[in-house]
Parts: sequence; C-alpha cells; structure tokens
Amino acid sequence: MTSKTVSVEAGDWYKKRRRPGEFVVRAFLLISGALSIATTIGIVVVLAREALLFFMDPEVTLSEFVTGTNWQPTIQQFGIFPLVLATLIVTGIALVVAIPLGLASAIYLSEYARPRVRAVIKPILEVLAGIPTVVYGYFALTFMTPLLRSVFGIATVEIFNTASAGIVIGILIIPLVSSLAEDALYAVPRSFKEAAYGLGATRFEVATRIVFPAALSGVTAAIVIAASRAIGETMVVALASGATPRNFTWGEDPLFGYILNPFVAGETMTGHIVRISGGDLSYNSIDYTSIFAIGLTLFLITLGLNVLSRRFVERFRETYE
Amino acid sequence: MKSRFTRLAGVVVVLALVLAACGGDDAEETTTMAGEVDETTTTAAPGETTTAATGGDVDPNTGLPMIDPLDVTGDIVTAGSSTVFPLSEAVTALFEDEGYGGQITIDSIGSGAGFERFCEAGESDISNASRPIEQEEIDLCAGIDRTVMEFRVGTDALAVVVSSGNYFVESLTLAELAIAFSTAETWADVNPDFPAHPIAVFSPGTDSGTFDSFVEEVFEEDPEPLLAGDPQLSEDDNVLVQGVSGDGCTEGDLATACGIAYFGFAYYTENADVIHPVAIEGVVPSEDTVNDNSYPLSRPLFIYSAEEILAEKPQVADFIAFYLNRVGEVIGDVGYFVAPADAIQVGADAWLAAVGS
Repeated sequence: MTSKTVSVEAGDWYKKRRRPGEFVVRAFLLISGALSIATTIGIVVVLAREALLFFMDPEVTLSEFVTGTNWQPTIQQFGIFPLVLATLIVTGIALVVAIPLGLASAIYLSEYARPRVRAVIKPILEVLAGIPTVVYGYFALTFMTPLLRSVFGIATVEIFNTASAGIVIGILIIPLVSSLAEDALYAVPRSFKEAAYGLGATRFEVATRIVFPAALSGVTAAIVIAASRAIGETMVVALASGATPRNFTWGEDPLFGYILNPFVAGETMTGHIVRISGGDLSYNSIDYTSIFAIGLTLFLITLGLNVLSRRFVERFRETYE
Repeated sequence: MKSRFTRLAGVVVVLALVLAACGGDDAEETTTMAGEVDETTTTAAPGETTTAATGGDVDPNTGLPMIDPLDVTGDIVTAGSSTVFPLSEAVTALFEDEGYGGQITIDSIGSGAGFERFCEAGESDISNASRPIEQEEIDLCAGIDRTVMEFRVGTDALAVVVSSGNYFVESLTLAELAIAFSTAETWADVNPDFPAHPIAVFSPGTDSGTFDSFVEEVFEEDPEPLLAGDPQLSEDDNVLVQGVSGDGCTEGDLATACGIAYFGFAYYTENADVIHPVAIEGVVPSEDTVNDNSYPLSRPLFIYSAEEILAEKPQVADFIAFYLNRVGEVIGDVGYFVAPADAIQVGADAWLAAVGS
C-alpha cells in the first residue's frame, strides 16, 4: 500500500505533506513520556513539601534527625538513624545471600548449561520473582525464623528479627540478580570465548577471567538494581523484621550484642512507614509528616545508589564491535 | 488496630455479602441491589425470622419500637472507633440480613477521628466510640447544630496476655503492669519473685483506641514511659499475638525472652490456645468481673448521634433502635460483653424522648 503511494507521488516527495496520523501518534508518545516525568516530579514535590513541614516543626532539629539514635515521633524523638541502620542491615544480609547465589546461577546458565537446560531453568528461576511479597513475608515469619531459632538457639533469635527478613529478601531478589547478570554475561562476544578456548583455557577460566570481567558493568548494574529493590522492599520487613525502631544509646547498648545484632528486631524505613500509615493517623500530626521525611530519606538513598552505579557503569563499560 | 488486613478483610466480607445476595433467590437480590422495598419481595423473602412487626409492637426489654429493616430506606454513614467497628459490623449484617436495602458505611478511623468527623465536618450520622465523648467535642457538635445523644452498646475489656510457655506469671498488679510495660529489662524487675527472663513487650500502635485506654488506665494518660521502653508496636493485633505467642519462653533457660502484650478481649478469645490471660489485681477478665466493675481494664463502648439527625433521617433512628434492641444477640460472638441493662435503657429512653413514639 505504502510503496504504491510513494511511487505515485515520487515526483514531488519533497513537498511538505501533512500527515495528521503521524502527528497524533507523535503527540501521544510525547504525552506518555511527559506523564511519567510529571508523575516523578509530582512525587518529589509532595515528598519535599510534607517533609519540609516536618522539619519546620519547632520540636525537630536537623542535627537530631541525622545523628539521633532514637525514633519515636509520638514522644518527640526524631533520630532517623535506627531506621536507616535496620534498612542497611536487612539490605546487607539480602545482598550477601543474593549476590553469590544469583551470580553463580547466572554463570551456570550462560556458560555451563546446555541451551535446552537453560530454556527450562531460566523461566523457573523467574517464577520466584512472581511470588507476591506478602507470601515471602509469612515465609520469613513462619519458616525462616523458626529455622534460625533451631540453628542459633531460641534465646538468641527474637521472634521478629532482621536476619530472617534479610535472608528472605535475598531469596526474593535472586532472580533479579541472576536474570540481569545472565543477560550481561550472555552479551559478551563469542569471539572472546573462542579465543580463550583456543589458547587452552578451561571453562572455569573462561567464565571467571574472560566473560565475567568483560560483563562487569552489566553485572554491577544488576546488583545495584537488586539492592534498590531490597531497600524498598516493604511487606517482608513489615511482617518479619519487627515493629519498632531499634532505638539505642551509644556506649550503653552493646554494639554487636544489640545495635548491629541481626537476630534482634529492627524496623526498617519502609516497615515503619507502612505500620504508621496503617493506623488512624490524623493529618496535622507530627507522625504524619514524619512519614514524608522518612520517604524523602529513602528516596535520597536510592537516588544516590543509582547515580553511583551509573558512574561506575560508565567508567567500566566495555564496548565491542 | 485498623490495618490494611482489616481493610482487606472488610472488602472480602462485603464481596461475600454481595455474592451471598446474588446466590439467593432473585427476589432477595432485587431487594439488596435496588435498595427499595416492594410488596413482592416482602412476601417472597424466605426464612424471615423477625417478628415482622411494623407498627405498634414494642421490644419488651428496651421499650423501643421493633424495627423491621424491610421498611427502612436511605443510607447511613457511621465512623469511629476500631474497637466498636466489629460490633457495628455484626449489627449491620443482621440489619441487612433482615431486609435493609440501603447502604451503611462503617469507617474504622479511631474514636477521636470519629468525633472529628461527626462534630467538625458533620459528615457522619453516627459516631462509634470506645470512650465517652468529651465536653470539648460536645461543644464542637453544638457549633454545627448537633445535640449529642449517647447510646451505650456494650463493654470491652483489655486482656493482658503472656505466652502459653510462660510458667510464672498468673497475676499482676497495675503497678507491676506499669513497670513491665516501661522500664523493666527482665521479669525480676517487675517482681523480685519472678525469674530474670528478658521481657519482650508488645503493644497496639499509638493510633488505636486500645493504646489510648491502656495508657489512660495504667500510665495516667502519659504515653512516654510506655514508648520509651521501645515496645513492639503494631496496628495489626495478629502481629502482637504472633509476637507474644512466639516468644520462646522456656522454664530453666533464663536466656529465653518471655513476652507480654495487651489487646481487646476479643483477640484473646480467638487465640486462647496459644496465649494465656493474666489476672489484674487478682481479677481474671470475664463477663462477671467486667460487669461488676471489679476487672480494672474494662471500658464502655458507645455509639453517638444527634437529636437533629434522628429527626431528619428516620433511617438513622430506626438503625439505632434496632441496634439497641438486638445488639445482645451478636455481641458475644464479637467478643465483647453485654452492657448493663440500665445503661442501655438510658440510651433507649433518650431515643424515645427524641423520636417521641
């Protein structure tokens, strides 16, 4: 159809021709793109505005917010550190679980598995990503916590604890790590591997010395995305990691026995937001605006992580012909 | 107390009701859907157990007219205490089962927020509360021309519980309770006779009426000592039950933590197999000890409306009369206690004076 039209009007193709359909499509695409940017801006504005209300409260000082070690807005304690710390502990544990397992399965899938095996295993691994996180939450509470208790002793492991939530979030992000990392590994040009094999390298050497370094930037991106996901994960921590900030006093509470102890309950930023907003908050209370201050902090942390990873990826990116 | 789970559960219940209505015979479905009553459905509705009295008949206990929900039309908006919520929900289910065709909304937003909506915004017809209304709120209501009417509908008791593995706590005094929920590190701090197990504290969240009444009874309205003790707080009572029942308390192993929690009595009865109630000042919570006021942690449950609303919206007056007549049938299932007859009668008399029949 099109080719015919073109050939008929081939003589004056350079004359400007109105194509209303083209315009509509273009406008639609532009609006779609602009909409998501506008949404992001809107969210940031709302976050910033409500957080500003929080910081303008005479009870709140920025220095307490940053350095304080107690968070209990109802009784004027505004140190966000315990929430951030719990988030970092949970995320750290999740990454300790997810990085080795995720990368190992990615290497297996891209370097060792035969195509037929790969075609079966990869979708199965991705099914893990389709399980609702609330199910993971109950899995942590009713399976992982009792398991940890039977290993480390019931006196050591509290019923709500950051370790069980962290491990389960680790399991939850394995497919993310393995799938993205595998894509990166798979994209390494075949000629590299063939050259290495030609020089007498073993499979293991090819995987770890040739393919993995070549795909490093892609693998890093996979890990950063998984880390952002772990930081933002809400349902698992809401159910399993505790329902109060792990407030402490420097020097008084033992560092490893309590402050950094993964087996003690500790509420993360997301867990706190979901618990507080699950209640009957009134709009002009400090608890309400404090949610936005936490949200803003969370946003800044993930933003920072993404900016860092972008720099890293740009610096180490290898381009192949 | 109101969590996303309760809200979800609410949606499920509503869906179930709708489905149940659709599953019934067509006549019934018409009633529920159209919100209007026609002669055919009245005669066709099966399994009607009401006294079917529309005019004249009077409830022998309250002296209020018997209400046939089939005759009631128009919507009703209620909001308030999350503690009263399940009770109102049960009465509403009964009201709808018997043919009421309008819409009742019950928002579970807490007693304080409920009064805010009732007396400031004037958006609700009935305000549910797990504490008596304050003078300030009555004044606010008067400001928007609402003369507050109070109806006592039941009594709730706070249950203080420990896990079933806890082998030493049977009874606590209010003073011991205050220590346990604030400064105590081990149970020996609560009472030197107790073994020195670490104490794990679980409490409903700061926005729930349950938290407010506990703080009022035990800490004289100052939440600071309780919160400074860093209890595990949750608006979801199931989390509290799970926390306290899973404390790992073991006789002979002083390293194991032993938990303590409190919540509405209903949650205790639902989970009686995994948790153990604690007597307060030697009194075990039960219907008798709650009604004779010997159990210290009990509180009245109310619904509030206004004379102007009763006059303007007959469906609200009808619903309240129905509530007072029939609440005794469902309150046991919800897990609360029937209010003393004379307390209910005060509300009934006020109703009669306002509606005048």
